[in-house]
Amino acid sequence: MQKPPLLTRRELLKVGSSLGVGSLLPFSSLSANTLQTQAHIVILGGGAAGMAMANRLTKRLKGGTITLVEPRETHHYQPGWTMVASGVWNAAKTMRPNAQFMPRGVNWVREHAADIDADNKRITLANGETLEYDFLIVATGIQLNYHLIEGMTPELVGQHGIGSVYASIEGASRTNQAIQTWLSSGQGKGIFTAAPTPVKCAGAPLKMTFTTLSRLEASGQRDAFTVDYMAPGAGLFSQPWVDEFVKQRFDDQSVNRRHYYRLSAIDPHAKQAEFAFVGPESEFTSHHELREAEFRRDNRPTVIADYDFIHVVPPMSAHDFVKQSALIAQDGPFRGEWLDVDIHTLQHNRYPEVFGIGDVIGAPINKTAASVKAQAPVVEENLLAVMQGNALPARHMGYTSCPMITGIGKAMLVEFGYADNFAFMPSFPFIDPTEESWAVWVMKDRMLQPAYYAVLEGQA
Amino acid sequence: MTIGGILTILMYTLAPFIWLLMIGLTIIIGLLLLAYLRGYQITHHHSHLASLLAVLIGLTAFLWVPWLTHSTLGYVATVVDWIALIGAAIATFVIAFITLHPLSYLIRLQNEK
Repeated sequence: MQKPPLLTRRELLKVGSSLGVGSLLPFSSLSANTLQTQAHIVILGGGAAGMAMANRLTKRLKGGTITLVEPRETHHYQPGWTMVASGVWNAAKTMRPNAQFMPRGVNWVREHAADIDADNKRITLANGETLEYDFLIVATGIQLNYHLIEGMTPELVGQHGIGSVYASIEGASRTNQAIQTWLSSGQGKGIFTAAPTPVKCAGAPLKMTFTTLSRLEASGQRDAFTVDYMAPGAGLFSQPWVDEFVKQRFDDQSVNRRHYYRLSAIDPHAKQAEFAFVGPESEFTSHHELREAEFRRDNRPTVIADYDFIHVVPPMSAHDFVKQSALIAQDGPFRGEWLDVDIHTLQHNRYPEVFGIGDVIGAPINKTAASVKAQAPVVEENLLAVMQGNALPARHMGYTSCPMITGIGKAMLVEFGYADNFAFMPSFPFIDPTEESWAVWVMKDRMLQPAYYAVLEGQA
Repeated sequence: MTIGGILTILMYTLAPFIWLLMIGLTIIIGLLLLAYLRGYQITHHHSHLASLLAVLIGLTAFLWVPWLTHSTLGYVATVVDWIALIGAAIATFVIAFITLHPLSYLIRLQNEK
């Protein structure tokens, strides 16, 4: 029989925090007051946002019930998928058991959510069971809509020269293999695409292009390969300075930029992709009306492009069961696609007992794990305020971060927020967000994953 | 980011390597203890070879530290990059020195017997 470890990693960190160094740390569990309650709080989703909220609320609430709905047993460190797809990390490095992060006392329901009845405060699960709630935190993440690209399915990733870092961890590994196969062929055309919707980790399509360029250059045969980047809008990245930087760098590295093209169909066997020309009115993170127009293919000029490798970025949205609920945005830019929350308080705009966090919320930026780090304390404080009938004290300023990998071994620490047209919000005054840096790469390679786990456990 | 936040992340970063750090510390402390028990004093013992080797090992950090992080020396570009890498090289030198210096004393003692 296997002996249990003397100390788990979590217990070790708790011991550490209770000793010397720990006394310096602003752990919420050490400083914040707890609230006595009988409320039932349901958290939908056990990704970064849901798990962080479960850990934070467990520390803050006494007497209530916290239910977390998450069917997966494995927690995926998704920010590491670009490293896997670029051949830098092994897939196993990004996976941990969800049980490792699940706080004691949380009722973990291993089932998919199927319906939200916001008027009656009721969740229906895929197995037909229902959950009543007093307060709801929607942290369901994002839905990948590969089906909006005709002929494309996530199962195709890794075959016929198709890659897609977003598909899954297996998809990221197969993307790496597809790139390697293309490199081994010694020549050919690679097409990198972007989606005409908001996407999680909006830098990932660019990072995949940059790391592949690194691999092409390392092969010593860069000139034998053609690289195209097909963007649905005028921009490549939401932060204006970075947008200009990436465009210039692509030009310098002989990447053919083509704007206003959306991947509309793919023929895997012929290795051909169809792009619809969506016109200069298109925007990078397009609004609902525009997306609707973009996905209408009638009378839309298209071009057919041959490829040897293609990186597919699927259109994304909230999950269907969220879209079909009353919680979805009814008007404005996120109408019909994303959760309707106040982007500062993260409280639902029409259901005050509901909060949203993470990729699912309708916000102009913020679909990153770094945003979850900034959002989690806001949701925690504001939810507790609502439970006590108080005014909402905390505001999210839109902080998000993207370690923009500009090559395998270097990166820029791009941090920005809502204000001043997505102005930089650097965490470290000594790191210039406009400089490519090895130290920032080391942060991405070595430190951001531990930081992510600290967020999950409600410690950062 | 606060100092507390940085320390929290450092603790999480180091947590998987604590066993390795403990083994390394045990070896170094054991060696120092053994040498001290046999009359070793850091200021009295001179070993040019140990010092030279420690310096050389420290300098190798400029190659293997970027490699260990899936990068290359060519991408060490900013002031922060250089401070970090020089810091890593100095740390490597110190660890090499406090290992090799008492070791050289023990070897010399053994040879004198």
